[in-house]
Amino acid sequence: MTVRGQLTRRNLVLAAVVVVLLALPSLATAFFVNFVMTQTLILGLAAATIVFLAKYAGMTSLAQFLLFGVAGFMFGNAALEAGARGLNLGWDAWAAVGFAIVVTTVVAFVLGAIASRTTGIYFLMLTLVYAVIGYFVFAQIVEISGPGGITSIQRPELLGPPVRLYYAGLLLSVLAYLGFRSLGRTAFGLALQGVRDDPIRMASLGFNVALHRTLAFTLAGFVVGLGGLLNVWWNGQIDPASISIGPTLILLIIAVIGGISSFEGAWLGAFVYVLVFTYLRDLPLIDRIGITEARFNTVIGVIVLAIMVLSPEGLTGIIHRLRGRLERPAAAAADTSTGGPLPLRKTEKEFGGTRP
Amino acid sequence: MAHTSAAQSEPSGSAPVIEVRMVTVAFGGLLALRGVDLDIMPGERLAVIGPNGAGKSTLFNVIAGDIAPTAGKVAVKGQDCTYRPSRHRPRLGVARTYQKARTFDGLTVRDNIYLALAGHARRHRALWRSSVDARMRSTAANVAETVWLAGQLDHPAGQLAHGQKRQLELGMAIATGPDVMLLDEPASGLSRGERERLIEVLESLAPEVTLLLIEHDMDVAFRIAQRVVVMADGETVTAGSPAQVQKDTNVHRIYLGTEATA
Amino acid sequence: MSRLRRRTALALCAVTGLALLAAGCGGGDEDDSAGLPADQETAAGEVSAPPPGDGDGVRLGILGQCEGPFGGFHEDVVAGTTLALARFAGATPNSSTSALEGFTGAEVAGTPIELVGIGCGDDTADRILQEVRRLVEQLGANVIIGPLSGDEGIAIAEYAKANPELTVFAGISGSQEQTLQVQAPNYFRFYGDGAIWSAGLGDLLHNQEGWETVAIIADDYSFGHTSAAGFVADFCAVGGEVTHRVFPPLGTTDYSSYIAQLPNPDEVDGYFWAVGGTGTQAALEAFVNGKGDLTGDQHAGNLFFNPDLAQALGTDIAGAYVGGFATLPGDVRTPKIEEYLAAADETWETIPGSLSGNEPAAPSVAAAFGFFYGYYTAGVALAEALEAVGGDISDLDAFHAAVSGLTLDLPYGDISLDENRSGIVDVGLSRLALDESGEVVQETVAIVPGVDQTFGGTFSPDTPSPGRDFPACEERDLPWVGNAIPVVDGVPQS
Repeated sequence: MTVRGQLTRRNLVLAAVVVVLLALPSLATAFFVNFVMTQTLILGLAAATIVFLAKYAGMTSLAQFLLFGVAGFMFGNAALEAGARGLNLGWDAWAAVGFAIVVTTVVAFVLGAIASRTTGIYFLMLTLVYAVIGYFVFAQIVEISGPGGITSIQRPELLGPPVRLYYAGLLLSVLAYLGFRSLGRTAFGLALQGVRDDPIRMASLGFNVALHRTLAFTLAGFVVGLGGLLNVWWNGQIDPASISIGPTLILLIIAVIGGISSFEGAWLGAFVYVLVFTYLRDLPLIDRIGITEARFNTVIGVIVLAIMVLSPEGLTGIIHRLRGRLERPAAAAADTSTGGPLPLRKTEKEFGGTRP
Repeated sequence: MAHTSAAQSEPSGSAPVIEVRMVTVAFGGLLALRGVDLDIMPGERLAVIGPNGAGKSTLFNVIAGDIAPTAGKVAVKGQDCTYRPSRHRPRLGVARTYQKARTFDGLTVRDNIYLALAGHARRHRALWRSSVDARMRSTAANVAETVWLAGQLDHPAGQLAHGQKRQLELGMAIATGPDVMLLDEPASGLSRGERERLIEVLESLAPEVTLLLIEHDMDVAFRIAQRVVVMADGETVTAGSPAQVQKDTNVHRIYLGTEATA
Repeated sequence: MSRLRRRTALALCAVTGLALLAAGCGGGDEDDSAGLPADQETAAGEVSAPPPGDGDGVRLGILGQCEGPFGGFHEDVVAGTTLALARFAGATPNSSTSALEGFTGAEVAGTPIELVGIGCGDDTADRILQEVRRLVEQLGANVIIGPLSGDEGIAIAEYAKANPELTVFAGISGSQEQTLQVQAPNYFRFYGDGAIWSAGLGDLLHNQEGWETVAIIADDYSFGHTSAAGFVADFCAVGGEVTHRVFPPLGTTDYSSYIAQLPNPDEVDGYFWAVGGTGTQAALEAFVNGKGDLTGDQHAGNLFFNPDLAQALGTDIAGAYVGGFATLPGDVRTPKIEEYLAAADETWETIPGSLSGNEPAAPSVAAAFGFFYGYYTAGVALAEALEAVGGDISDLDAFHAAVSGLTLDLPYGDISLDENRSGIVDVGLSRLALDESGEVVQETVAIVPGVDQTFGGTFSPDTPSPGRDFPACEERDLPWVGNAIPVVDGVPQS
């Protein structure tokens, strides 16, 4: 079986997953849909921006959760009408959405521009600094963060019933997934990968490397801002502790669990994380072996460690390998019956190209 | 194997395509270039040779825009480029290769060449694919054929052998149809057969293409170039046709290392 | 074969696209999504029935903190509620050495109380929201006891407001806004807030010790602000003047620059400290380094002042006044308190509470401290409210009215609720003093009865949250001024 053949099979599986997710509210309990899956989609969307930057641009960002929070804080400040917390601008919900997204994108552009000349570990450290500074900005400039957080945040009328928030999360997740994937084949996406592989060469080909990195960071900021809005609608409140270093690292861990170079992995990692935190304690006798709620972070840590040892590409890497093992005999049969991999490869390629 | 085409393309009276004036580069206290002057005429094929540490690569990097000179001036097609970064060179029709192949190892051969084309066509930030991209892709396939990589079109560049990477380097340089090509030791590390292929490709370039070649390998330099500039200790020592340079006793001295001044 | 696969792929893709489109349209259409099970559940603003809520019993969820700065109190708080239900609802703990194992057999007026789960917070609002949603939306809890800390309290009060079918008895969360500003009709707090715990101290220091001016140093976060706000409101109401307010950030280790901002001991009558955790001792040591020796008489602190400070600072700290907390200081012993502590010791053999370093210890050790007691009062409130409505919680309005009208007869003083459903409580003030052997001990000096969270109008639903500049220093009438009951050798002189 060729790589392209795997790709199509992957697309089939993903399409099936989306169909199941669409039907989920009729199949599963309200808690599972509105809590577990909605949170999974929101965190997955945010983690996908880490994957986007890491996979295409080679930039591992710890600032995504900060931008996630910026969107939430800005929406809260703009949308709330009265109360002791925040600016209480009292705008229309959708104007507040626009405001939050614009501010988040501008902040991402500025932060991206400052970081655009660093790579590798220096970029990671610089975005860590962003995360820490961002936390203190919101913790200490209490006019925009409360004091003590912005509470009673209502979502727009259109998203009133919780199940619609779930569908909004699903829609944005599917769009982000398809968008990020197809972006990899566009001039912008290919140039980004070029910047990742050899920025000096890209410059000599005429590309503005720093601007390219900045724009990629800005795009990731825009998408993670959408996730931040969903989050603040889902949670109803946001406070400086929401964007402290703990959650920031959790988001990176989610991306690592799923496989930092795989977009599916972002949502898969988020799903695993939410499952562990929600259901692990319900397993019978789990507390007898010392796994109580207080130790879930340890459990997550052990999972990350195990995954890093077993498969640096995360869960998606493990799945790919398992599938490769299962399919090998079948693939051999298929090759003999269709006359080699070449024609097969061609068809798949066309198909891959027609995806939105 | 003298170039019949090269001799006639010498344009009389036209301005040089690359002007290097009194360029000095200091790395700390070390003078890598000491007031180098060099004119390259349109269509000229010029090789710069010299022993290690002579300043060839520094000169090359100054012309390519990777290093800004400490003093002096560089102009391309009459435009002052002394302090312009390297990314402005493609706009002026300048393409270059690197001594150590710098390919995008995560991308396929086709995408590597595509990026060279996109960089030149200033299609940098398109977020969707159009017929322009399709055309550039098919151009990329043709270019790959020219540099004997048709069979590796959809292979990641990271999987190519060393010689194939050099071919890809060359392909990325010639893809955009540049007026000026700067080649940094294109023959280094190539097998004999690969070297012949390289010479074949370079000889097949249109006569109006200007070629600046840094080369350690005398054989390739003398076969490609019409004019050879010899450098030592950050200065140009002598210049002339390959035949003249080969006879020059100064050059022999320099390469034998008995005397390192001029 | 490949062609077949390609067709299937295309077909599936088309189906997905259509389905997505349908969902997109459906999302905007009222009727379409209303039939889905997931829609019957609400998060914000809608009434609904919890999923597995079988019958009319109380399905209780307790919100504690198993992680974070108060993680050590997890056992204490769950034990507090369990003891209340053991005493007044016939509950039997499942373990004689831990409360976290749950209890069985709780019943009031024929209505069973089932513990459906214990939430595990980490001192952040986000986490406690997820925990309460798990308890309510997954496990079907209809009564919540908790949470533990201030910001959590605000988040849970908001959640209660959005879920009117829920009834919440706050645990020991000390923020003012959860009752004063949020105003959730189903959120009840049977104890005081952080400001209340400083009440009476200003009156005592100004009128008894003759302090005219005071400098304040407090942690720069909500609890520090609230604690200082209570003191400012009290001290200024009786005519005192606050000359300085200094707010070092939470987690400061070197306080010298903040101490430098304080006036010298000869420029001010005294200092009020609301610096918590390890900061208390570090800040006082910086004071000794920067301003010279301590004179205990010149200092007062909130609940973070305790005799342990003498270990590092010496006996000079003796003489300092200390604000109250949920319980009265340990040297106050009344028959009711004795009975309460004895009941705790009967309910379990040992409890690994925070005060014993999470090692097994007599349950009365944990029970004598505020965290345990706050959750105890909530449990008592639940039991008494059930009694009041004859075990019938089908009429939530009646049930909530009954809760609001309760006056709990509790070991450390009676508690009733104000119109914002926050407790009107007795505050015990104490002083660090030297006993006969020269050790620094904490002695209760007065009990201030009937303290409510408005401080005679200083705080109201329309005022901002306590902050660096709020409240301003103003004279006003406080209901409890002059009513303090002196305490001598642990015996109230009423």
